[in-house]
Amino acid sequence: MTQSSLRRTSLTRRAKVAAAVGLLALTGCSAPNSEAATHDFASWDEVVSAAEGQTVQLWMYGGDQQGNAYIDDVLAPAVAEQGVTLERVPVTDTADALNRVLSELQAGRTADGTVDLIWVNGANFSTGKEAGAWLCDWTSLLPNMDKTAVDDPLLSDDFGTPVDGCEVPWHKAQFTIAYNSDIIENPPTSLAGVLDWARAHPGRFTYPAPPDFTGSVFTRQVLYSVSGGYENVPLTYDQESFDELSPALYEKLVDLAPSLWRAGDTYPASSDELNQLYADGQVDMTMTYGPATLTDLVAGGVYPAGTRILTLDEGTVGNASFLGLPSNAESRAGAMVVANTALSVEQQVAKADPEAWGQFTVLDYDSLASAEQALFDALPKSLVVPSYDILSTNANPELSAAWVPPLDEGWRTRVLGAR
Amino acid sequence: MSLAPLRGRTAAAGRPGLRGTLLILPAVVPALFVLGGGIGAAVAQSLGLLPLIGPVRLSLDAYTAQSGALPVSIAVSLGIATASTAIAAVVGFAAALVIVSGRWGGRIVAAISAATVTMPHLIGAAAIGLLLADSGLLPRLLGIDADAWPRLVGGPWWVAVVAEYAWKESAFVALVVAGTLATRVASFDETAALLGAGRLARLRFVMIPLCLPALVVSSTIVFVYTLGSYEVAWLLGRSYPEPLPVMALRLFGSITLTARPEAAAVAVVTTAISLAVVALAFLALRRTALWR
Repeated sequence: MTQSSLRRTSLTRRAKVAAAVGLLALTGCSAPNSEAATHDFASWDEVVSAAEGQTVQLWMYGGDQQGNAYIDDVLAPAVAEQGVTLERVPVTDTADALNRVLSELQAGRTADGTVDLIWVNGANFSTGKEAGAWLCDWTSLLPNMDKTAVDDPLLSDDFGTPVDGCEVPWHKAQFTIAYNSDIIENPPTSLAGVLDWARAHPGRFTYPAPPDFTGSVFTRQVLYSVSGGYENVPLTYDQESFDELSPALYEKLVDLAPSLWRAGDTYPASSDELNQLYADGQVDMTMTYGPATLTDLVAGGVYPAGTRILTLDEGTVGNASFLGLPSNAESRAGAMVVANTALSVEQQVAKADPEAWGQFTVLDYDSLASAEQALFDALPKSLVVPSYDILSTNANPELSAAWVPPLDEGWRTRVLGAR
Repeated sequence: MSLAPLRGRTAAAGRPGLRGTLLILPAVVPALFVLGGGIGAAVAQSLGLLPLIGPVRLSLDAYTAQSGALPVSIAVSLGIATASTAIAAVVGFAAALVIVSGRWGGRIVAAISAATVTMPHLIGAAAIGLLLADSGLLPRLLGIDADAWPRLVGGPWWVAVVAEYAWKESAFVALVVAGTLATRVASFDETAALLGAGRLARLRFVMIPLCLPALVVSSTIVFVYTLGSYEVAWLLGRSYPEPLPVMALRLFGSITLTARPEAAAVAVVTTAISLAVVALAFLALRRTALWR
């Protein structure tokens, strides 16, 4: 072997080693630890002092103008008084926020993540819990957690996933269909009736395409309906039940498609788009998981004056939404202060005001002091939306989060694929 | 492709060749680093070596998980890429002939092509959407009712998607081929004309053979680009079935944790197809008359 070829060999070997090291640096990050992360604060006072001066990035769905305004104008000033800066990061889909956290964890960024709080529930919470993306056992630190009911199933389970102190409740929601009473004089009283009405009035009804949150819950509501009530659908997911129950659902929706807006050729991509169609008078019904917002929309002239809630005999799906704290959040203490503030009576009352955001409180009304109850009692009554107790009559439980991906995927392939 | 002659020169001249190699390293190393890292990460993730949850386990699960949808997606992607490339190659070649013709029309075509190339595909897709949709500009100009207008956007034949790629990429092909024609082909063409060759004969025996390498290379770039790009198919196509890049992105953003390796698997399949097409193109190139 000549000297030059020897040098060349060692050069290529060194290059190979360098390339391998480079590859390892890029690809060699390990799978994140799926054990739930826990905090190391001994008391709430410690949290409050650690939070001083922190900036909290709250990632949340950005398409709800009232929600955005509530955060910017009401919640952010309230936490600023406690020395915490709250920044709202709008996302088009909550999954984007969780994906950011998961990507950071996968890249080994376990302590200084960019996401400090996520407005989350259901499938995303369950996915994150599975991957160890949430900080757990922290909600018991918050003083304001005492004002919620311990035994409320909506707060102890999120789409069938035990909450385990990994997220703090924020507000309650009830799936609701709204209609224009000026056009529909005899509204249907069941979901089957709604679908029949849609067939009798071609082009005047549609629903957002899953995996949009609202479109997704609509398909679950139809699943309950075609299965003869929620009692007949096992809440925990198993393949057998899915194979047995889902064909009737998709058959119903495929059958319905030609009667929908644009003959089912296309669907609104989000609940926002559906609301726009309703506001423009292109359809006569809309649906929402936050019905309290309707009052303001009607008052502002966005929605027709005849907008009313369609109450279904069999009830609708209800749930609660939460604030989740990623396990790699940089401003943990600040995020806890924000969550605690969001759970205070003042904030919950302010948020429940239809003119602010109009979200139902997660606080336990009966356990509040009479002065605090009076604040809720003083909220303006709505012509459009009945109170939460009436809305949540016969409330249906949410299916476990494991149902959501197969149902959404089935809709994509069987309903959209059938076009 | 330029590495082979380089190594030959290294053996003959020694030091200058090494210097040449060292000089291109600043360009090659980062490219290899990003390319190797990216593809390496995708392959590792698709094989279950970079899981979001659970133990690291070598498996082909991610490839078999979409076994039902993947062949359909491959077919859709290949169909779109083939149709777009074929149209872009024919239109681009014709436009190149017009550009080098020396007449004033050629300058207009050259200006239009240059302007088209600078436009981002996303803007192009939005424009095509506004033009061809059933409530778009074209049916309105023609006074055709939305119901009677064929479903070009989001329809079963991916017409709007292919139209966008063909339009944008034909401009690219035209500029590349026109470059070749302008440098050396023109003199051959004039010589053939002086020797009495007719227009058709010159096109067949002079223009096409001399342009073929440039045409093959630019068409390959168009094909691989079309196969791997996402935004046009996502904006103008239908939601089901979906081309490979759209499928990869949807799976990557899915809330199901096992879907990430599946997304990587789809990306690896797309890369493999692209590499195969490039290899085929180089084989074809070697058979052309101009290849040394």
